[in-house]
Amino acid sequence: MFLEKMYFPHDISTFGPSIDAIFLLIFWITVVTWVLVTITLVVFLVKYRTRPGRKAEYIEGNSRLEITWTTATTVILVALALLSRSTWADIKEHGPPGDFFYKVTAKQFNWEITYPGPDGKIDTKDDVTVENEFHVPVNKVIRIELESKDVIHSFFVPNMRLKQDAVPGRTIAVWFQATEPGTYEIPCAELCGFGHSGMLGHLTVQSEDDYNKWLKDTYTNQ
Amino acid sequence: MTAKIRPLIVPARRPRRDVFDGDGASEPFISSGKIAVLMLIASEIMLFSGLVGPFLVYRGEAPFWPPPGLPRLPIFVTWINTFVLLSSAVTMFLGVRAVHQNRQRMVRRWLAITLILGSAFLAIQGSEWVRLVAHGLKLSSGTYGATFYTLIGLHGAHVTAAVIWLGCIAIAAMRGRYGAKNAGAVEICAIYWYFVCAIWPALFVLVYLT
Amino acid sequence: MSSTAAVEIHGAHAEHHELGFVRTYLFSTDHKMIAKQFLFVALFMMAIGGLMAMLMRLELGWPENQWSFLRIFPETLQQDNAITPNTYNSMFTMHATIMIFFVVMPILVGTFGNLLVPLMIGARDMAFPKLNMFSFWVSAIAGVIILSSFFVTGGAAAAGWTSYAPLSAVPNYTGVDWGQDLWCISLIVLGMGSLMGSINYITTIINMRTKGMTFFRMPLVIWSLFITAILLLLALPVLTTALALLLFDRMAGTHFFLPSGGGEPLLWQHLFWFFGHPEVYIMILPAMGVTSDMIATFSRKPIFGYRAMAYAMIAIAFLSWIVWGHHMFQSGMNPALGTSFMLTTMVIGVPSAIKTFNWLGTLYKGDIHFTTPMLNALSFVAMFVIGGLSGIFMACTPVDMYIHDTYFIVAHIHYVLFGGSLFGIFAGITYWYPKMFGRMMSEKIGKLHFWITFIAFNCTFFPMHILGMGGHMRRIYNPLQYDFLKPLAGINEFISVSALILGAAQFIFLFNLIYSYWFGEKATENPWHANTLEWTTPVHPGHGNWPGKLPTVYRGPYEYSSPETTEDYWPQNAPPEHMSAAAD
Ligand code: HEA
Ligand code: HEA
Ligand code: CUA
Ligand SMILES: [Cu+2]
Repeated sequence: MFLEKMYFPHDISTFGPSIDAIFLLIFWITVVTWVLVTITLVVFLVKYRTRPGRKAEYIEGNSRLEITWTTATTVILVALALLSRSTWADIKEHGPPGDFFYKVTAKQFNWEITYPGPDGKIDTKDDVTVENEFHVPVNKVIRIELESKDVIHSFFVPNMRLKQDAVPGRTIAVWFQATEPGTYEIPCAELCGFGHSGMLGHLTVQSEDDYNKWLKDTYTNQ
Repeated sequence: MTAKIRPLIVPARRPRRDVFDGDGASEPFISSGKIAVLMLIASEIMLFSGLVGPFLVYRGEAPFWPPPGLPRLPIFVTWINTFVLLSSAVTMFLGVRAVHQNRQRMVRRWLAITLILGSAFLAIQGSEWVRLVAHGLKLSSGTYGATFYTLIGLHGAHVTAAVIWLGCIAIAAMRGRYGAKNAGAVEICAIYWYFVCAIWPALFVLVYLT
Repeated sequence: MSSTAAVEIHGAHAEHHELGFVRTYLFSTDHKMIAKQFLFVALFMMAIGGLMAMLMRLELGWPENQWSFLRIFPETLQQDNAITPNTYNSMFTMHATIMIFFVVMPILVGTFGNLLVPLMIGARDMAFPKLNMFSFWVSAIAGVIILSSFFVTGGAAAAGWTSYAPLSAVPNYTGVDWGQDLWCISLIVLGMGSLMGSINYITTIINMRTKGMTFFRMPLVIWSLFITAILLLLALPVLTTALALLLFDRMAGTHFFLPSGGGEPLLWQHLFWFFGHPEVYIMILPAMGVTSDMIATFSRKPIFGYRAMAYAMIAIAFLSWIVWGHHMFQSGMNPALGTSFMLTTMVIGVPSAIKTFNWLGTLYKGDIHFTTPMLNALSFVAMFVIGGLSGIFMACTPVDMYIHDTYFIVAHIHYVLFGGSLFGIFAGITYWYPKMFGRMMSEKIGKLHFWITFIAFNCTFFPMHILGMGGHMRRIYNPLQYDFLKPLAGINEFISVSALILGAAQFIFLFNLIYSYWFGEKATENPWHANTLEWTTPVHPGHGNWPGKLPTVYRGPYEYSSPETTEDYWPQNAPPEHMSAAAD
């Protein structure tokens, strides 16, 4: 696919495709605009380069043109905004009810993943806390409470086009649904100090059974 | 009334020309000095809004405002202080009018009174601050203390600046430097003085009364 | 001819009321000298900011490599000949701070503003020459403070030019102590400097336009400087408060931005970007003005849609106050708010579109002369369009979720700021060099510099879009720490090589500046056959600019190839036929 040729990481999220679609749409709009502008520019430069005995034509402007391109750009741009609204709302405002719940706490320079213990609830004493290892079942709606202990970090999963800052003093809700098993990287995308570069967790998407098995092991090993 | 305010905004007659203010240049509608001070005020307003904004945010987020355990702000004294500052605006206005009428004794009297009122405001506020600190309201005591001292302190700093400025003007006035033909400097200082007085009530309501 | 000679002598005279070296070159109140002072300081700072960039590129191209020559830098920048993560953070922080606050702003506003405002509106100097002098020296002090922070223990600020709290608010978080304080202090001081400057420009433009110079007869560059001054006046105080609060948090134990104690980290971002977005337009508007003048002059044609151009700039100035949230889409700010900021941000693209199309319209059926200033102005248009269009991607909230804080942003930054502002600066300097130094800059060297810069620039920054699409985060010191970035290493290396060429190319420009000062061909009074008033002064304008009376303006600034004249230009001050006839 075109975007993956352009180094886009392989997408494994449910909302990724619509993001990539909008990206492509804007990509083509801007490419066309750019080509038109640049071609006009070059043509004018060649056609109207100075030549002996030719005088420039005295043109002060043209109201009709002004109105045309003003309205044209306004329409395109506003349309783009309206069109992106719903995707954004689905990802960040509301979203499907969660199947599994976790808490991710960022701190210099690690991701602390808190798994609910047997009682299935977070913030109870039987929680399991692991650093930088985030295991989730495939094809389930994952809901995260994102927090930070010190400075602002940013929870970034390139393979899901997902990014959300973790702000100290706030709990921010994040959700996603992974569609393919595998291990993916969770870099930190917001400058958070000298360890920012290399602050890296791993997201392991696995079948529900493997997931439960893994969780039990880690639980007993604690 | 308007007739009296007019000279403050539109120069009564040809304003003092700035060094190079061009020969052949179109006659300025407002003297450069006045535009400058108005611009200064515009940016000062942004400076204050930069502090009022956060203040409102903290208020909105805090469960209790003012937080329990911190001393209450002195309302009554500050009412008096507000009165002091606002009256200084009136005396300042009278001073400027006296300048336009070339009544030197009046000029000196009103400017002196304005100066005293301004300093009084600072003195009262200073003493109140001392008492507040003694009662344990510090810059470091939460966003409440922090916003209080920065916001009111910023205004205090402006009053101080205005007092110093007016001081210099007053000294020159004692030497009978200003008159109907040469009122620019006084008018400009007055505009700034009005500004300093005008934002106080807003702060008073925001920080003390509500 | 004889008349000009007379003028020359007269002009020479004007300089002759003896001012010592100090009054003439250091504490001068002459707007032309102050303009030059800003230029030299800014170029010096540009060398340092650029050097930072070069070191960053070395690190990114060949991560964690040791370079023996790094020995020459203080311990705060390198440790055993390698760049460390923390010094890398200091580098891009200082790189951006210096380039934005001490290169682009001083040249666009300080140099062009001071040089052009009085000369183009027909005034003998600024409204407040002394204030003008202070404005320079205050800014210079700010520059010294920011540079000194390289040498304090703990090194220079390392929280990014945006200095997000709490990272910037607590020394332990970065390990930088005094560096960050000095950063704040320096920018507060700089704020005072530009406050003095902007008050001066606004007053001068309102009050000191010469006879006949109505607002709609002002060159667009003056319009842009006027609007920029207003933005400066209103935006910088907000930064000043934010910085003051940050300093209180660092020094006085307050908790404005620290959640422990009721503070609000996002508040810093709101304050910073409320200043920050107007700031970015402060950095582009004057360059747009310069470009407009170049394009009109060198296609010997009136600017297309003069009023539309002026109104577009006014529109940008207004809209720039309601888009700041587009820097905070992923910050945890209410997503619904994000949607409205997306809308306003999209709309702010429209005035820029108007300007772009009007520039094209100006070229249409023109008589285009490819001088060095024109080449730079044209590449401003081409590059600004790319930078602007990449802005549309980021304005779209869902797309921004992926490309936020990646090199896509870095590419955008440099297309608008280098491809835009800096090309505008190159154009302006080469165009007004004769006004500043009485000689022409060498066209040969100028064109050489332009082409190398233009090509190297695109090789450096265009691939950054691809890095961004690959998810390459910004502000990381070693991309090879991430598996998903390993395929991009080659691109990074290519970028670094081009960047080094780009940096080296700037020395050609520097050389041209110095060489032409002594060996450039002597300038005539109106070397570009332009209409605007700065070309009606003697070649070396003295104190007071015009030896005799101030010029009177009879028409707009862009009367090129007018059917009413045989010449293809018609100076603003040339009296109409019937009047000059009367004069004889
Ligand atoms: C000179 C400086 C400058 C200028 C002019 C601009 C102009 C614009 N910028 Fe940019 N911006 C910066 C400097 C600038 N920016 C910097 C420094 C940052 C990074 C800060 C940091 O985090 O460090 C930034 C970051 C930034 C972001 C935040 C990205 C992020 O961090 O996630 C966004 C998001 O919306 C944005 C958008 C825009 C838009 C929409 C414009 C628009 O004004 C562009 C308008 C122009 C055009 C659109 C092109 C011409 C128009 C046409 C050819 C008409 C046809 C067009 C269409 C039909 C689409 N910018
Ligand atoms: C006007 C603004 C401006 C300019 C001109 C530049 C110029 C350059 N920038 Fe910069 N850059 C920014 C503004 C600018 N940048 C900003 C705002 C950021 C964001 C910072 C942050 O994340 O906080 C950034 C970040 C940034 C990064 C990302 C760092 C990171 O996120 O990890 C990189 C990486 O390649 C980079 C590279 C370069 C390069 C190679 C140049 C080259 O163009 C430099 C070319 C070299 C020179 C211009 C120097 C030579 C000059 C002379 C020799 C002058 C002659 C005069 C004398 C010697 C007196 N810049
Ligand atoms: Cu955590 Cu960057
Ligand atoms: Cu912006």
